[in-house]
Amino acid sequence: MFLRIQRGAAVPISRQIEGQIRAQILSGTLPAEDQLPSVRQLARELAVNVNTVLRVYERLAADGLIDLRHGDGTYVTRRAKAGVTAQLAQRRRELAQEFDALVRRGLMLGIDANDLAQMLAESIERVADPPPAERPTKSSESRSAESGKRRPGKAEAPQT
Amino acid sequence: MKTPAIVVDNLRQGYGRRSVLDGVSLTVPAGQTFALLGRNGAGKTTLIRTLLGLLPPAAASGRLEVLGLDPVAHAIAVRGRIGYLAEDQAIYPWMTADDVARFLAPFYPTWDAALASSLLDRFGVPRDVRIRQLSKGHNIRLGLALALAHRPDLVILDDPALGLDPISRKQFNRDVIEHLQGEGRTVFYSSHLLYEVEPLADVVAILDGGRIIRSGPVEELQRDVKRVILSPETLASGPRPAKLLDATRDAGRWRITLDDAQRWIDDLRAAGSSLTVEDLSLDEIFEAFVIGRAEWPAAPAESQPVLA
Repeated sequence: MFLRIQRGAAVPISRQIEGQIRAQILSGTLPAEDQLPSVRQLARELAVNVNTVLRVYERLAADGLIDLRHGDGTYVTRRAKAGVTAQLAQRRRELAQEFDALVRRGLMLGIDANDLAQMLAESIERVADPPPAERPTKSSESRSAESGKRRPGKAEAPQT
Repeated sequence: MKTPAIVVDNLRQGYGRRSVLDGVSLTVPAGQTFALLGRNGAGKTTLIRTLLGLLPPAAASGRLEVLGLDPVAHAIAVRGRIGYLAEDQAIYPWMTADDVARFLAPFYPTWDAALASSLLDRFGVPRDVRIRQLSKGHNIRLGLALALAHRPDLVILDDPALGLDPISRKQFNRDVIEHLQGEGRTVFYSSHLLYEVEPLADVVAILDGGRIIRSGPVEELQRDVKRVILSPETLASGPRPAKLLDATRDAGRWRITLDDAQRWIDDLRAAGSSLTVEDLSLDEIFEAFVIGRAEWPAAPAESQPVLA
């Protein structure tokens, strides 16, 4: 399992680890029944506190994404329905944070809110083939900040 | 409940008339990794010397306990149960690693010679080379092996990785995780290398102005301390936040850094104000606490209500 931790970032380390493991599980990079490294192994590998990794594993287990089989290792689950719902909510929260970051960047560059909304609408048109009712999907490789999306009509950008 | 590893209550400490610590209070539960952050000269080493019983607390200090004992009254007993590692160890440079291990053994009731030997091998420390000829990396690993060989309940690290190259620093951190955290030992890690300490710590504490001005898990600090960017009009319209850390004007807008930020942010948003919220790195949080200019811009009208 390949994880990349950025030290000294504004995003807490636990959130980075959790986010990357979640993304790998959801995208199938980490398939069901795959074994994860033990808490201690991963802590050592990443050079982070054991408790940090433990908290991440506990949160993932609470969402039904992994199974902590004590004494037998930690495995990716065949995802339980409840787990999937929790994941989607979590993904939406993360996406909302990415939207916020994008909007911040745009505003910082001097692009006003209306222009940003327009840019977003154009991006959706470019990228989303199916009709607007269907939610466009985003692969985990293309997590670049340039391709932000949101539902048209929802006013999010702050008006100065 | 297990005895806390360290209890410091209202510690005052100084050299002659110069006061260095002016009411430091902290508690480190057993098994925790506690990171003490502070600038050069903030008093981190003074605090550590006090914990080691090398400096008696100044008058008017409160309780001081290390592993349940008074480090001044029971200096030998306390130091026999603590592992200590600093950047420049006072080890006799003409000794070899084996010499030092033999030399130190009688000072520690729980010294395990076989463990010392196995750790030295494991860390790749040359056994029969004089210490003054060892590289910095080997020196630190020797120090860590010796600090672990008596299975201490508490290990105090005084910025030991300071002079190491980045790869060696990461390896040192891994050793701390495996041999200290993995064994459930308490780690008191003093450093100003925030990036090094942040991933290891359960709790960080900022020492400044002779006191602990903020402490808590890193995640919690990052959740509580935010930077808010807003227009002068929005600023003037709202209440002054209770825990302001820094207020800086930048290209016509205000950048406000504050602790317990969420309430203030929620209140501003509820009032319909527009603002941008930024997450901060530990670096930025530290700066805000230590060199932030916490002066609220003078209001054109009369005084603003303070948000309690």
